[in-house]
Amino acid sequence: MKYRILPLLLLLFAACSKHPSLPSSYTQMNDEPVIWPDYTKVTVPPNIVPLNFLVDDVDDVIAEFKIQGSSQNSGVDETKFRYGGKANKVQIDEDEWHEMLASAKGKSLSVTVYTKKDGKWSAYKPFPIYVAEEEIDPYISYRVLPPTFVGYDELSIRQRNLTNFEESIIYNNRQISKGLEGQCINCHSYQNYSTDNMMFHMRLQNPGTMIVNDGELIFVNLKNDEMISAAAYNSWHPSLPIIAFSTDHTMQSFHTREVSKVEVMESASDIIIYDIKKNSVQTVLNDSLEFELFPSWSPDGKWIYYCSAHYEYQGKYEDTEELLDKYKTLQYNLYRISFDAESMTFGEPELIYDAVAKNRSAVQPRVSQDGRYVLFAEGPWGLFHIWHTSAEIQVLDLQTGQLLDTKPINSDLPESYASFSSNDHWILFESRRDDGNYTRTYFAYFDKQGRLHKPFEVPAEDPEFFRLFLRSWSRPEFMKEPVHITPRQFYEKALTEPIKVAN
Amino acid sequence: MGANVGKILKYIYCLAFFALAWYFLYVRNADTMYFMQDRDWWNSTSLFWDDCMRFPGGLLSWVGAYLTQFFYYPALGSSMLIGLWILTFWLAKWSFRVPDEWSFLLFIPLAALLCSDIQLGYWVYIMKDIDYIFYHPMGLFAALLFSVPFWQYFPVSEKAQQWIALAWIPLVAALLYYPLGIYALLAAVIVAVRQLTVNFKLSTLSLIVILLTLWLVPLLETAGTTLMRPDQPWTYGFHKFELDDLRDYSLEIPFYLVLITSVLFPFIKKLNTKKLILSQSVMAIVAVLMVYCLSTRDFSDYNFHAEMRMQRGVEECRWNDVLREAAMVKGPVTREMVMLRDIALINRGELCSKRYVYNNESVPPVTVSDSIHIRIADQAADLIYLNYGETVFAIRRAIERCMHYGYSYYTMRMLTECALVNGEWDNARRYLRLLGCTTFQKKWAEKMKRFVGNEKLLAESEPFRMPLKLYNEGSELVGTDDKYVELTILKKWMYSITSDPEAQEVALGCAMMMRDQKCFWSQVQQYYNINPGKYFPIHVQEAMLFGVYELKMQGINLSFVQFDQRVLDRYNAFFNRLKQYSSQGMNEKQIGSALRPEFGDTYMWDYCVLREVQTN
Repeated sequence: MKYRILPLLLLLFAACSKHPSLPSSYTQMNDEPVIWPDYTKVTVPPNIVPLNFLVDDVDDVIAEFKIQGSSQNSGVDETKFRYGGKANKVQIDEDEWHEMLASAKGKSLSVTVYTKKDGKWSAYKPFPIYVAEEEIDPYISYRVLPPTFVGYDELSIRQRNLTNFEESIIYNNRQISKGLEGQCINCHSYQNYSTDNMMFHMRLQNPGTMIVNDGELIFVNLKNDEMISAAAYNSWHPSLPIIAFSTDHTMQSFHTREVSKVEVMESASDIIIYDIKKNSVQTVLNDSLEFELFPSWSPDGKWIYYCSAHYEYQGKYEDTEELLDKYKTLQYNLYRISFDAESMTFGEPELIYDAVAKNRSAVQPRVSQDGRYVLFAEGPWGLFHIWHTSAEIQVLDLQTGQLLDTKPINSDLPESYASFSSNDHWILFESRRDDGNYTRTYFAYFDKQGRLHKPFEVPAEDPEFFRLFLRSWSRPEFMKEPVHITPRQFYEKALTEPIKVAN
Repeated sequence: MGANVGKILKYIYCLAFFALAWYFLYVRNADTMYFMQDRDWWNSTSLFWDDCMRFPGGLLSWVGAYLTQFFYYPALGSSMLIGLWILTFWLAKWSFRVPDEWSFLLFIPLAALLCSDIQLGYWVYIMKDIDYIFYHPMGLFAALLFSVPFWQYFPVSEKAQQWIALAWIPLVAALLYYPLGIYALLAAVIVAVRQLTVNFKLSTLSLIVILLTLWLVPLLETAGTTLMRPDQPWTYGFHKFELDDLRDYSLEIPFYLVLITSVLFPFIKKLNTKKLILSQSVMAIVAVLMVYCLSTRDFSDYNFHAEMRMQRGVEECRWNDVLREAAMVKGPVTREMVMLRDIALINRGELCSKRYVYNNESVPPVTVSDSIHIRIADQAADLIYLNYGETVFAIRRAIERCMHYGYSYYTMRMLTECALVNGEWDNARRYLRLLGCTTFQKKWAEKMKRFVGNEKLLAESEPFRMPLKLYNEGSELVGTDDKYVELTILKKWMYSITSDPEAQEVALGCAMMMRDQKCFWSQVQQYYNINPGKYFPIHVQEAMLFGVYELKMQGINLSFVQFDQRVLDRYNAFFNRLKQYSSQGMNEKQIGSALRPEFGDTYMWDYCVLREVQTN
């Protein structure tokens, strides 16, 4: 009688163990498993957090991880590499995962998935996860917001540690918002991936721009009489206390049938630079026939890359009705303009990518640290490609003038807002490939030969998280370190009168 | 005799309160309670639990949202809520040793909570609290539970008990502030007040402790949170009726009553009169006042309730019920009622033949003390847009509502249905997955799964047939609605030229509503093209006669139209009568009223009497 309890105890022990045993009998399948998120054949950095995943419509799942190319005497106990046994989710121990990735650097992991359905186990064909040599920047920051269109009730800028699952708030508009209108916060950016020099805008309630300059927080009203609007999209000069901005009049409209739903347009836009030390603004580009937008400094600080659409109003200037009729003709090319830091002067615009000739629109350029590649988002027209189903990420090789093959990272749904990591080997972008509606963050490996690899979604502790989370993660940015200013400090600063920029 | 009567009094009170609450909750407000649960949101995921727990009062929110679901069956929800109130009564009676004959006083905060549910009116559309119905009753129950003087049962000296009680004040607040929010503070206050009635010597100390507790606990426990303004921790969970710059204090009175009266509970036992006649006279006055307040605060506007019934009817495709509701209204209707009724008519193919049979005379929604101005955009805009095939605008409005007022079963269903019509299958799966984690929406989610990826099935099913048709037949435009839902739909459709007979009838109907002659005649032409040999619907015949003979539309040849003799006769009779009344010196309003019994169901009456195009 007393021995009857033993199997039960063993079963209980097995259930509690983080390393479940493999089933003794199973049916071998010829396919790879369908897992969520799709981590099959992806390339990951050696410092990334565990890639937890789930399998749909099964009662139980076990995943066995093996390091490909490791010898039997590698000293790593293989039994450690089995996870699962908790319904349909595989959640990997963080310490063991990092240990595993450290051993697999430059090699790959082979993952065999076993699933149980109606009491019967199946084993799937193993799939690889490639582990790159190069690490990824440890932090990203992003806006978290409902996939909404007009209101700003609930909006926060958050940061996530990519080496673990820690997420924290940089600033939350609920600290200050009153009423339905709320406070819009946007356009967070950093100088050289460092948070000692960073900024973001506040709009509507307590408007102004929060700038952290060498660790010191200032609050500025970045609008003078000569500017179209308060400063918007921006980029820090890599070494000087200068930020390039576009200033613009934005309008947003809705489709009645298109599932892309929203069309964002600029009725006018210019580019300026703001000198933080002098608190002064200098106009860079303000051609009334050009909508110049999304300035981005090259890492050597000698160029501003940007995009521009040529548009001549038939009727009165900034006639929004006219733009609504012709929004599909608003297509942007990529340009750059040289900058002389000594004299603070700019050269002439230079076309670097003619998207219009291809009946496309190229926006949001970002230059690699070695200055060779330009990342950008390309869509059918306009500037907010996250709303365009056919939008995709492109990489232009400035040495050859050719586009790289970006098929491995693009999908049938919108991709947008891409940037390079500080070592150029990881590309961060936003995508709606999960369901077409909620924006998620993806990473792709960019190898030394300039090849792009299959991307992966930012891992979540609970693999179901992004399926259930009804908010978008938008506008992701890499960071080397977390933001040091606390949300409370930003809040208290926001209550002060912003400094007016000199005319 | 008196003692026996006293003993059964508490049962009589309970029965009386049960009957009162049942009458106001279920008999008079079942539709409102159903509506409120439909705007509730609870699911069994850990993400939802975590979301709730981030705020003070998180556990109450979670439990409140969970229990609110049960108003899916209003009788069940009402029974549960009243049951909780009765339980609260017994707990308070036992905890504060309230004499039987005075125990009806304990129902005052419970009646206030009942009042808080039935007084809301149009605020139900713009409230942020998904857990409203059960949050406060659960909060009060918890506050009373955690203020029970358990130390009295400890085998220690009375003095030691006093000190335990004193220590419990900050402890209960600190331990329960995050689960219970303001109700943890209420528990601490009740303990402190109770101590005043027990040992007045320690009153100064109790006062200091409670003041420090009320100040420090919210301050310290919310230090570092980014989820609220610094002025919010002390009142988090107290329901404020505020919207932008507006605040309606009158609706907050029940909550002030709850807080104040529950704090006074410890004093009731001091009312130790043995004269039953005196106590019962006071109880009778309290009861009368209670009934009076509930009756006056009950939001009984007919249109408000009819709108809710019609919204549900449209969502459930009960077209006959929607039309019956529309026919029953005595006075002017809201524009939302007009639109919901028109949706029912569209689905029955009667928009152009029956629309003017119903009342189109409109009034804005009647709001509580004029504190808010409600528009269709705040109400069921997404449902209306969806039924006109305007799924993008529907999604926009649904998402805006989620952001302003929180997610709800209703908006989740709307988003799911829009995703299905749009063919956004993965998106639909996401919403269905979430609805599958709820208690009462599971079945609906299960039913909807078969539509994912099956457009043919969608096109054949009642809820999607017409929306999908209108979505497919509607033109693609870029613009915004500026919160004018009806105008946006009418303007789009009156210009839409389609060869689908059902969709074309919608376009023709919209042109008639907008009274745009150019659009009307081009839609008439289109109707003729796609329905050769078919009689025009009655209202279209009326509008054609009116356009040619009254509005003097040039260049129209009516010889190709087959008119119904009865339409011709009524048209002539209408204008004869109009001239007659006019020659009698009647003013416009008088003529309108006089014509209504005979011609109130015609396009001509609508056009001539309801002079402006009424839209919202």
